[in-house]
Amino acid sequence: MLNSLLVDFAEWLGATNWSVGLHESFYMFNWLETLHVLTLMLSLGMLFVIDARMLGWWLMEVPASKLADRLAKPMWIGFSIMIVTGVILYTAIPVRYTTSLWFRIKVILLFVAAVNAWTFHRHLNRSASTWDTDKIPPKRTRVAAMTSLCVWAVIVVCGRFIAYDWFDCGKEMSAFMNWATGCVAVSEAH
Amino acid sequence: MIESFFVWLEASALGAFVKDQAATFATIEAVHLMALAVLGGSVFLADLRLLNLVMTDVPSRTVNDNAHKFFKISLIVLLVTGFVMLSGVATKCYHNFYYWVKMAALAAGIIFAFGVRAPLLRGDHALLNPLTVKLVAIASISVWFLVAASGRWIGFSG
Repeated sequence: MLNSLLVDFAEWLGATNWSVGLHESFYMFNWLETLHVLTLMLSLGMLFVIDARMLGWWLMEVPASKLADRLAKPMWIGFSIMIVTGVILYTAIPVRYTTSLWFRIKVILLFVAAVNAWTFHRHLNRSASTWDTDKIPPKRTRVAAMTSLCVWAVIVVCGRFIAYDWFDCGKEMSAFMNWATGCVAVSEAH
Repeated sequence: MIESFFVWLEASALGAFVKDQAATFATIEAVHLMALAVLGGSVFLADLRLLNLVMTDVPSRTVNDNAHKFFKISLIVLLVTGFVMLSGVATKCYHNFYYWVKMAALAAGIIFAFGVRAPLLRGDHALLNPLTVKLVAIASISVWFLVAASGRWIGFSG
């Protein structure tokens, strides 16, 4: 049901002039993808700086909440460009991305990362004054930072794996994988 | 001479290992990207501070010294994973224009980071010409962006 909805939407989107134009253009798609990867240096770079501080790896001279506050702006500039270029890239090849196992895992993990960041941010605002300059940050803080780094590492892996055709529709796959990739809805539609 | 090294590398045990499974190459690529994020973090942290855009209430020297440590670690991971990836597609890279752009930019970046930027910033930052410091920061961000961008283009023109 959800698979049909997603694939129907992707097939409609993929037939629009915008999508076809973007897909057919050689340089535009590549430049967008390059921008998406370059922005990783800013968005995930700043995220790493903050998470590594929460783990007590570096910058211990700087209070944790101060560091997180000062770097939030460049990090969000990075993530904004990341999201915009990511959405535009999706519109270029929507059916393939919608039925990509890795793309699906990536989107789910993006939600996990967002929820983790949001709950941690609330925790930081409430409690930072008690441990801001401690040599070793509290366990709750370290767990949240490590969770963030691990989730983002898997997001990067999934993002890179999207380019490979291991589980593309039309390949020999189990019923479960046909469902998990959404390919089951593609064969229904055609 | 150079070409024969690339041919030898691809035929080596390392090259064979990387080519054996598509997932091996893809996984190393992902680790390469993660290290790129860490390198980006340390470059942006230090250079945006030099440009007075972030953390202006923390001494520039403190920020820069911390960042340099992770810069070196991430650069080593990038060089190792990069070399392993190269071993799987060495002959293709030899004939790829962007591969050589990337290598030239990488060499420039390493020489600049360790031969110009690090020695300059070893002293008291307050004694340096502010314009020189800002130009160094802009050059640093630009060269690492160029390395990353040309690296991505290797894959587009294969």
